Amino acid sequence: MANLSPFDIQARPNKLLTQAFSCLIFLVCIGLYMQTSISRHRENPEDRIVPSGHQLVAGIRSAVLEPAEEDDYIPADNASTWERLHHSMIWKDTVSSGRRFFISLFLLVPAVILALHIGLFPWFGAGFLRFVLFFDKIVALSLLPILFIVFGIDEWSKIALIVIGVAPTMILDVTQMVKAVPQEQIVKAFTLDANNFDVAYRVVFRQIMPQVINSLRLNLKPMMLFLFAGEMIAASDGLAYRIAIMRRHMGMDVILPYVLWVALLLFLIDFSLRVLNRRLHPWFQA
Amino acid sequence: MVSGLSTPEMPTPVNLQHEAASINALTATKSQHVATAIRIDDVSVTFPIGRKGCRTVLENISLDIEEGEFVVLLGETGCGKSTLLRMLLGQDRPTSGSVSIAGSLVQRVDARSSYVPQKYSLFPDRTVLENLTMGPETSKYHIFGRLRPSFRPFRRQVREEALRQLSHMGLQPSDAAKYPHQLSGGMQQRVAIAQALMMKSRVLLMDEAFSALDPATRANLQRLLRSVWSETRPTVVFVTHNTAEALFLGTRVIVLARQNREDHCGSRVVLDMKLPALGMNLRNNGQQFLDLVEHVERFSRGDHHNPSTGFDDSNDLPETLNAFPLDGETL
Repeated sequence: MANLSPFDIQARPNKLLTQAFSCLIFLVCIGLYMQTSISRHRENPEDRIVPSGHQLVAGIRSAVLEPAEEDDYIPADNASTWERLHHSMIWKDTVSSGRRFFISLFLLVPAVILALHIGLFPWFGAGFLRFVLFFDKIVALSLLPILFIVFGIDEWSKIALIVIGVAPTMILDVTQMVKAVPQEQIVKAFTLDANNFDVAYRVVFRQIMPQVINSLRLNLKPMMLFLFAGEMIAASDGLAYRIAIMRRHMGMDVILPYVLWVALLLFLIDFSLRVLNRRLHPWFQA
Repeated sequence: MVSGLSTPEMPTPVNLQHEAASINALTATKSQHVATAIRIDDVSVTFPIGRKGCRTVLENISLDIEEGEFVVLLGETGCGKSTLLRMLLGQDRPTSGSVSIAGSLVQRVDARSSYVPQKYSLFPDRTVLENLTMGPETSKYHIFGRLRPSFRPFRRQVREEALRQLSHMGLQPSDAAKYPHQLSGGMQQRVAIAQALMMKSRVLLMDEAFSALDPATRANLQRLLRSVWSETRPTVVFVTHNTAEALFLGTRVIVLARQNREDHCGSRVVLDMKLPALGMNLRNNGQQFLDLVEHVERFSRGDHHNPSTGFDDSNDLPETLNAFPLDGETL
């Protein structure tokens, strides 16, 4: 009989048991939710706070297949499912949030390049490092009103918020990675007749690339956080905007699927970056 | 595997007394017709420590290293031998004095000399073959030059040469596609030497290149390095703290040691000794080799001022052997 004591460090639970055990808390949560939902619906069949399975399905259906309230689009009666999905509320929100997210992701590329230069070229380090250290300590959300004033309340203020929020941390992180590249490598590259840009981009940058992607993976969550903060305060579409709007009429049947959908999206981005990292850098250890 | 180097008997016995006496004479009697590869001119190095203190590492080092010499820099840990090598590389600048290679001053790291460090000698993100081809490729085609059409045939040519070099170093062609982390430490250093040789520079600088290896691998690599050196006769500066290794590899041993432990007192050259060009080892030179090891180590410990105590102390020899375990090739 395997040792089942939870406080035994040397216990060796078998694989099946481990798998089953890891699902346990999920099942407990779902069970508790269902229990609460059923008991609340027994008192009030119209309860919206803890929607029942039927309500959730209806909510998901309306989110996935029907256009947003503010849209004028009316699907034709014979419209295909794809047609409906393409004009649906969740599609519209995902596209607009996704666009902001990927534009700011793209804007982080120059930040990483700058960080490479700060870490490697003494003049860049002298010029930028102290400023970035200072800028990193500014709470990005406190800049949001300023950004709204400067950029207006449309797209660019939200994108600027994400970039300003994440870029300084990224820059400092990447600078540290560059500095952690052994000096021997740089010296060796110079003895192989490399010039400065060979060393920067073909020796150092190649080496830190997997770490940069890992750092980006860790920063996905802060990026999403800043995006949601911006969207909840001022936006006319987007995933966070919808969640904030739905709160007004207690639309838990839409909020809950949205929350899970955002989590799934984030997981997929993280997972694909992980796979990409492993494929591109088979030499990377740990 | 290794293009083996036979170490023939060395007929002329080395006279220790004579060696010691000729230390000072060496620089004076240096033959004029051999070109000077490396000139170290009155180099001193001082590092600041703390707020106002500073520590002298090297003090008034002057050396002339001839073309084709295999110089071993020997000394105890912290005596500044690696610092001196960094000066030769151009990685650090001397506080005073100057270093010149092939007649021009060393101001920065460049391709005049090749470099094999103890660790991190290979680029982890490149396969063995890419590590080898990197030198010739970058020296001819820099970052954007790789887009030029003539790059591809050149690359093919370099690859062939790299594969030749690889088999010359005793590696299998199947190793060419491996990443450095898939190789053992000894293999990695073989590749590192091959990578350095691909540049065909006349000066090869090695910093404790074999110090992290186990004795058997180390002995193999020492033989390999000897044979590589005797083929093309580059100028080699090899830093080590292992006396037996120094005597086996070098044609000239330079011992650095500080006179006392004071901060202001840096290391000086305490012994500069020519060795027979074929190298020495315990098997071929026997007791003479052991005596020489002892002799050299007394200098690197810094107690050569009173040689009587060193020579007469009968416990000295076993102690030395314990402190510097002789490697496979010497036994």
